[in-house]
Amino acid sequence: MCSFASNFRGAHLRLNRMITQQVRRAFVSSHRDRGRQKRDFRRLWITRINAATRIYKVFDSYSKLIHNLYKNELILNRKMLAQVAVLNPNNLYTISNKIKTIN
Amino acid sequence: MATATLPLRLLPSKTLTLPFFPSARRPFASFAAASSSPRSWRLLAAAEEAPEPVEVEFVEPESEAAEEASVPEPVEAQLAAAGAGKDADIFAVVMHLHRLFPWLQIGSRQYIVMPGRYIYTQRLKGANVNDEIILNKVLLVSTRDKAYIGMPVVTNAAVHAVVEEQGRDDKVIVFKYKKKKKYQRKLGHRQPNTRLKITGISGYEDYPADPILDPVAA
Repeated sequence: MCSFASNFRGAHLRLNRMITQQVRRAFVSSHRDRGRQKRDFRRLWITRINAATRIYKVFDSYSKLIHNLYKNELILNRKMLAQVAVLNPNNLYTISNKIKTIN
Repeated sequence: MATATLPLRLLPSKTLTLPFFPSARRPFASFAAASSSPRSWRLLAAAEEAPEPVEVEFVEPESEAAEEASVPEPVEAQLAAAGAGKDADIFAVVMHLHRLFPWLQIGSRQYIVMPGRYIYTQRLKGANVNDEIILNKVLLVSTRDKAYIGMPVVTNAAVHAVVEEQGRDDKVIVFKYKKKKKYQRKLGHRQPNTRLKITGISGYEDYPADPILDPVAA
Protein backbone atom coordinates (compact mmCIF):
# COMPACT_ATOMS: atom_id res chain seq x y z
CA MET A 1 0.00 0.00 0.00
CA CYS A 2 2.96 2.25 0.54
CA SER A 3 3.86 1.72 -3.06
CA PHE A 4 0.36 2.57 -4.17
CA ALA A 5 0.67 5.79 -2.26
CA SER A 6 4.16 6.45 -3.42
CA ASN A 7 3.15 9.34 -5.59
CA PHE A 8 0.88 11.07 -3.14
CA ARG A 9 1.61 14.43 -1.78
CA GLY A 10 3.30 15.43 1.45
CA ALA A 11 2.21 13.66 4.60
CA HIS A 12 -0.16 11.51 2.60
CA LEU A 13 2.69 9.36 1.52
CA ARG A 14 4.74 9.43 4.66
CA LEU A 15 2.47 8.82 7.60
CA ASN A 16 0.86 5.42 7.95
CA ARG A 17 -2.52 6.52 9.10
CA MET A 18 -2.78 9.03 6.35
CA ILE A 19 -1.62 6.50 3.83
CA THR A 20 -4.38 4.07 4.74
CA GLN A 21 -6.99 6.78 4.60
CA GLN A 22 -5.83 8.24 1.36
CA VAL A 23 -5.44 4.91 -0.35
CA ARG A 24 -8.97 4.04 0.63
CA ARG A 25 -10.22 7.28 -0.81
CA ALA A 26 -8.25 6.69 -3.95
CA PHE A 27 -9.76 3.26 -4.48
CA VAL A 28 -13.25 4.50 -3.77
CA SER A 29 -12.84 7.36 -6.19
CA SER A 30 -11.53 5.14 -8.89
CA HIS A 31 -14.38 2.67 -8.47
CA ARG A 32 -17.01 5.36 -8.50
CA ASP A 33 -15.46 7.22 -11.36
CA ARG A 34 -15.21 4.22 -13.57
CA GLY A 35 -18.95 4.35 -13.64
CA ARG A 36 -18.93 8.08 -14.18
CA GLN A 37 -16.39 7.80 -16.93
CA LYS A 38 -18.96 6.19 -19.11
CA ARG A 39 -21.34 9.04 -18.55
CA ASP A 40 -18.67 11.67 -18.95
CA PHE A 41 -17.49 10.37 -22.24
CA ARG A 42 -20.92 10.17 -23.64
CA ARG A 43 -21.48 13.77 -22.70
CA LEU A 44 -18.24 14.74 -24.32
CA TRP A 45 -19.13 13.00 -27.53
CA ILE A 46 -22.52 14.53 -27.65
CA THR A 47 -21.06 17.96 -27.19
CA ARG A 48 -18.59 17.39 -29.93
CA ILE A 49 -21.14 16.03 -32.32
CA ASN A 50 -23.37 18.95 -31.54
CA ALA A 51 -20.62 21.39 -32.29
CA ALA A 52 -19.74 19.70 -35.52
CA THR A 53 -23.31 19.55 -36.77
CA ARG A 54 -23.87 23.18 -36.07
CA ILE A 55 -20.82 24.10 -38.06
CA TYR A 56 -21.84 22.20 -41.13
CA LYS A 57 -25.34 23.57 -41.19
CA VAL A 58 -26.77 20.44 -42.69
CA PHE A 59 -28.77 19.89 -39.55
CA ASP A 60 -29.54 22.53 -37.02
CA SER A 61 -28.55 20.56 -34.01
CA TYR A 62 -27.41 17.31 -32.54
CA SER A 63 -30.95 16.27 -31.83
CA LYS A 64 -31.97 16.58 -35.45
CA LEU A 65 -28.91 14.71 -36.58
CA ILE A 66 -29.56 11.81 -34.25
CA HIS A 67 -33.21 11.71 -35.13
CA ASN A 68 -32.39 11.44 -38.79
CA LEU A 69 -29.70 8.92 -38.15
CA TYR A 70 -32.19 6.66 -36.51
CA LYS A 71 -34.83 7.25 -39.10
CA ASN A 72 -32.40 6.03 -41.69
CA GLU A 73 -31.36 3.07 -39.61
CA LEU A 74 -27.76 4.04 -39.14
CA ILE A 75 -26.38 2.60 -35.97
CA LEU A 76 -23.17 4.48 -35.79
CA ASN A 77 -22.80 5.34 -32.20
CA ARG A 78 -21.87 8.57 -30.60
CA LYS A 79 -18.36 7.58 -29.78
CA MET A 80 -17.71 6.96 -33.41
CA LEU A 81 -19.48 10.01 -34.61
CA ALA A 82 -17.44 12.13 -32.30
CA GLN A 83 -14.22 10.57 -33.46
CA VAL A 84 -15.25 11.07 -37.01
CA ALA A 85 -16.12 14.65 -36.32
CA VAL A 86 -12.67 15.32 -35.06
CA LEU A 87 -10.51 13.21 -37.31
CA ASN A 88 -12.50 13.14 -40.48
CA PRO A 89 -14.88 16.03 -40.54
CA ASN A 90 -15.58 15.52 -44.18
CA ASN A 91 -16.97 12.12 -43.45
CA LEU A 92 -19.38 13.46 -40.92
CA TYR A 93 -20.50 16.03 -43.41
CA THR A 94 -21.00 13.34 -46.01
CA ILE A 95 -23.02 11.22 -43.64
CA SER A 96 -25.26 14.06 -42.63
CA ASN A 97 -25.81 15.07 -46.20
CA LYS A 98 -26.75 11.60 -47.15
CA ILE A 99 -29.30 11.17 -44.45
CA LYS A 100 -30.75 14.54 -45.13
CA THR A 101 -31.25 13.87 -48.79
CA ILE A 102 -32.74 10.49 -48.20
CA ASN A 103 -35.48 11.94 -46.14
CA MET B 1 3.21 -0.16 -43.71
CA ALA B 2 6.40 -0.53 -41.88
CA THR B 3 4.76 -0.40 -38.53
CA ALA B 4 2.36 -3.15 -39.18
CA THR B 5 1.27 -3.61 -35.64
CA LEU B 6 0.85 -0.08 -34.49
CA PRO B 7 -1.60 -0.39 -31.70
CA LEU B 8 -4.83 1.02 -32.82
CA ARG B 9 -5.71 2.81 -29.71
CA LEU B 10 -8.25 4.91 -31.39
CA LEU B 11 -11.37 3.47 -30.18
CA PRO B 12 -11.26 0.01 -28.83
CA SER B 13 -11.97 -0.93 -25.36
CA LYS B 14 -9.18 0.93 -23.72
CA THR B 15 -8.74 4.16 -25.37
CA LEU B 16 -9.42 7.66 -24.57
CA THR B 17 -10.95 9.22 -27.55
CA LEU B 18 -9.98 12.19 -29.52
CA PRO B 19 -7.08 14.43 -29.59
CA PHE B 20 -5.07 12.29 -27.28
CA PHE B 21 -6.05 9.11 -28.88
CA PRO B 22 -2.78 7.35 -29.39
CA SER B 23 -1.42 7.78 -25.96
CA ALA B 24 -4.05 7.87 -23.29
CA ARG B 25 -5.53 4.65 -22.14
CA ARG B 26 -8.73 4.26 -20.40
CA PRO B 27 -10.88 1.23 -20.04
CA PHE B 28 -14.14 1.75 -21.61
CA ALA B 29 -16.77 0.34 -23.73
CA SER B 30 -19.38 1.99 -25.76
CA PHE B 31 -22.36 2.57 -23.69
CA ALA B 32 -24.37 4.50 -26.11
CA ALA B 33 -27.76 2.98 -26.24
CA ALA B 34 -27.70 3.64 -29.90
CA SER B 35 -25.18 0.98 -30.51
CA SER B 36 -27.29 -1.84 -29.24
CA SER B 37 -29.70 -2.36 -31.99
CA PRO B 38 -32.94 -3.98 -30.93
CA ARG B 39 -32.75 -6.40 -33.78
CA SER B 40 -30.35 -9.22 -33.45
CA TRP B 41 -28.02 -9.43 -36.36
CA ARG B 42 -26.91 -12.73 -37.53
CA LEU B 43 -23.58 -12.45 -39.06
CA LEU B 44 -22.96 -14.39 -42.11
CA ALA B 45 -19.51 -15.31 -43.02
CA ALA B 46 -18.65 -13.52 -46.17
CA ALA B 47 -17.07 -15.65 -48.77
CA GLU B 48 -13.80 -14.39 -49.87
CA GLU B 49 -10.74 -13.22 -48.57
CA ALA B 50 -8.85 -10.24 -48.17
CA PRO B 51 -5.51 -9.69 -49.64
CA GLU B 52 -2.92 -8.09 -47.48
CA PRO B 53 -3.71 -4.49 -47.89
CA VAL B 54 -0.64 -2.95 -49.24
CA GLU B 55 -0.96 0.47 -50.65
CA VAL B 56 -3.96 2.04 -52.11
CA GLU B 57 -4.20 -0.67 -54.66
CA PHE B 58 -5.99 -3.63 -53.39
CA VAL B 59 -5.99 -6.87 -55.15
CA GLU B 60 -9.69 -7.10 -55.50
CA PRO B 61 -10.93 -10.48 -54.48
CA GLU B 62 -14.02 -12.07 -55.86
CA SER B 63 -16.78 -11.37 -53.48
CA GLU B 64 -19.35 -14.03 -53.37
CA ALA B 65 -22.62 -13.69 -51.66
CA ALA B 66 -22.52 -14.12 -47.97
CA GLU B 67 -23.61 -17.29 -46.29
CA GLU B 68 -21.10 -19.65 -47.70
CA ALA B 69 -18.08 -20.76 -45.85
CA SER B 70 -15.22 -18.71 -46.95
CA VAL B 71 -12.92 -20.14 -49.50
CA PRO B 72 -9.47 -18.88 -48.82
CA GLU B 73 -7.32 -18.00 -51.71
CA PRO B 74 -3.81 -19.29 -51.85
CA VAL B 75 -2.52 -15.96 -50.63
CA GLU B 76 -4.32 -16.39 -47.39
CA ALA B 77 -3.72 -20.05 -47.05
CA GLN B 78 -1.47 -19.74 -44.09
CA LEU B 79 -3.88 -17.52 -42.28
CA ALA B 80 -6.81 -19.76 -42.84
CA ALA B 81 -5.02 -22.71 -41.40
CA ALA B 82 -6.85 -22.74 -38.14
CA GLY B 83 -10.23 -22.28 -39.61
CA ALA B 84 -12.09 -20.40 -42.21
CA GLY B 85 -14.17 -17.36 -41.53
CA LYS B 86 -16.18 -17.72 -38.42
CA ASP B 87 -19.49 -16.29 -37.66
CA ALA B 88 -18.75 -13.71 -35.14
CA ASP B 89 -20.99 -11.48 -33.16
CA ILE B 90 -19.08 -8.64 -34.39
CA PHE B 91 -19.73 -5.49 -36.22
CA ALA B 92 -17.17 -3.47 -37.87
CA VAL B 93 -17.29 0.18 -38.37
CA VAL B 94 -14.23 0.91 -40.15
CA MET B 95 -13.03 4.20 -41.16
CA HIS B 96 -10.02 4.95 -42.95
CA LEU B 97 -7.85 7.93 -43.22
CA HIS B 98 -5.59 7.41 -46.11
CA ARG B 99 -6.45 4.01 -47.27
CA LEU B 100 -9.46 2.02 -46.73
CA PHE B 101 -10.72 1.51 -43.32
CA PRO B 102 -13.97 0.23 -42.00
CA TRP B 103 -15.88 0.96 -38.91
CA LEU B 104 -16.86 -2.12 -37.00
CA GLN B 105 -19.05 -3.10 -34.20
CA ILE B 106 -17.83 -5.90 -32.03
CA GLY B 107 -19.46 -7.15 -28.90
CA SER B 108 -21.74 -4.14 -28.83
CA ARG B 109 -18.84 -1.76 -29.13
CA GLN B 110 -17.83 0.01 -32.27
CA TYR B 111 -14.33 0.43 -33.53
CA ILE B 112 -12.58 2.30 -36.21
CA VAL B 113 -10.22 -0.09 -37.80
CA MET B 114 -7.44 0.11 -40.29
CA PRO B 115 -5.66 -2.69 -41.97
CA GLY B 116 -2.39 -3.55 -40.37
CA ARG B 117 -3.36 -2.41 -36.93
CA TYR B 118 -4.72 -4.28 -34.00
CA ILE B 119 -7.62 -3.73 -31.71
CA TYR B 120 -8.62 -5.10 -28.36
CA THR B 121 -12.12 -6.47 -28.13
CA GLN B 122 -14.10 -8.47 -25.68
CA ARG B 123 -12.97 -12.04 -25.41
CA LEU B 124 -14.18 -14.11 -28.31
CA LYS B 125 -14.92 -17.43 -26.80
CA GLY B 126 -14.28 -19.90 -29.52
CA ALA B 127 -11.29 -18.26 -31.08
CA ASN B 128 -7.82 -19.61 -30.79
CA VAL B 129 -4.66 -17.79 -31.52
CA ASN B 130 -3.99 -17.44 -35.21
CA ASP B 131 -7.56 -18.04 -36.19
CA GLU B 132 -8.76 -16.01 -39.04
CA ILE B 133 -11.91 -14.20 -38.26
CA ILE B 134 -14.28 -12.37 -40.47
CA LEU B 135 -16.14 -9.50 -38.99
CA ASN B 136 -19.34 -8.92 -40.76
CA LYS B 137 -21.02 -5.98 -39.31
CA VAL B 138 -19.38 -3.21 -41.11
CA LEU B 139 -21.20 -0.01 -40.47
CA LEU B 140 -19.20 2.30 -42.59
CA VAL B 141 -16.30 1.99 -44.92
CA SER B 142 -14.41 4.99 -45.95
CA THR B 143 -11.66 5.51 -48.40
CA ARG B 144 -9.93 8.62 -49.39
CA ASP B 145 -12.64 9.71 -51.78
CA LYS B 146 -15.66 7.73 -50.96
CA ALA B 147 -17.72 6.68 -48.05
CA TYR B 148 -19.86 3.60 -48.05
CA ILE B 149 -22.37 4.40 -45.42
CA GLY B 150 -24.18 1.39 -44.19
CA MET B 151 -27.87 1.57 -43.55
CA PRO B 152 -27.28 0.08 -41.10
CA VAL B 153 -24.71 -2.29 -42.43
CA VAL B 154 -22.62 -2.25 -45.55
CA THR B 155 -23.85 -5.43 -47.15
CA ASN B 156 -21.30 -8.03 -47.98
CA ALA B 157 -18.51 -6.05 -46.51
CA ALA B 158 -16.20 -7.95 -44.30
CA VAL B 159 -13.20 -7.17 -42.26
CA HIS B 160 -10.65 -9.87 -41.97
CA ALA B 161 -8.75 -10.21 -38.80
CA VAL B 162 -6.43 -12.65 -37.19
CA VAL B 163 -6.60 -13.42 -33.52
CA GLU B 164 -3.26 -12.43 -32.15
CA GLU B 165 -3.71 -13.04 -28.51
CA GLN B 166 -6.32 -13.87 -25.92
CA GLY B 167 -5.33 -11.97 -22.88
CA ARG B 168 -6.74 -9.89 -20.09
CA ASP B 169 -7.07 -6.21 -19.52
CA ASP B 170 -5.16 -4.44 -16.84
CA LYS B 171 -6.37 -5.03 -13.36
CA VAL B 172 -8.98 -2.76 -11.93
CA ILE B 173 -9.52 -2.76 -8.23
CA VAL B 174 -13.11 -2.96 -7.17
CA PHE B 175 -13.31 -1.34 -3.79
CA LYS B 176 -16.44 -0.91 -1.76
CA TYR B 177 -16.37 1.10 1.37
CA LYS B 178 -18.87 2.56 3.78
CA LYS B 179 -17.52 5.07 6.18
CA LYS B 180 -18.03 4.67 9.92
CA LYS B 181 -19.63 1.29 9.39
CA LYS B 182 -16.50 -0.81 9.24
CA TYR B 183 -17.39 -2.16 5.86
CA GLN B 184 -14.91 -2.49 3.10
CA ARG B 185 -14.39 -5.02 0.35
CA LYS B 186 -11.52 -5.16 -2.06
CA LEU B 187 -11.56 -7.21 -5.22
CA GLY B 188 -9.38 -7.24 -8.27
CA HIS B 189 -10.71 -7.81 -11.71
CA ARG B 190 -9.12 -8.44 -15.07
CA GLN B 191 -11.45 -8.53 -17.97
CA PRO B 192 -10.59 -11.06 -20.64
CA ASN B 193 -9.97 -9.58 -24.02
CA THR B 194 -8.86 -10.60 -27.45
CA ARG B 195 -6.43 -8.83 -29.64
CA LEU B 196 -7.30 -8.88 -33.28
CA LYS B 197 -4.97 -7.83 -35.98
CA ILE B 198 -6.85 -6.48 -38.92
CA THR B 199 -5.57 -7.83 -42.16
CA GLY B 200 -7.93 -6.41 -44.66
CA ILE B 201 -11.28 -5.13 -45.68
CA SER B 202 -13.27 -6.44 -48.56
CA GLY B 203 -16.63 -6.71 -50.11
CA TYR B 204 -17.67 -3.13 -49.89
CA GLU B 205 -17.13 -2.16 -53.48
CA ASP B 206 -20.56 -3.01 -54.73
CA TYR B 207 -22.29 -0.97 -52.19
CA PRO B 208 -23.44 2.46 -53.26
CA ALA B 209 -20.85 4.97 -52.34
CA ASP B 210 -21.01 8.58 -51.51
CA PRO B 211 -18.24 10.87 -52.48
CA ILE B 212 -16.76 12.55 -49.53
CA LEU B 213 -17.76 16.16 -49.62
CA ASP B 214 -15.83 19.06 -48.38
CA PRO B 215 -17.93 21.23 -46.17
CA VAL B 216 -15.76 24.22 -46.75
CA ALA B 217 -16.22 24.10 -50.46
CA ALA B 218 -19.94 23.50 -50.23
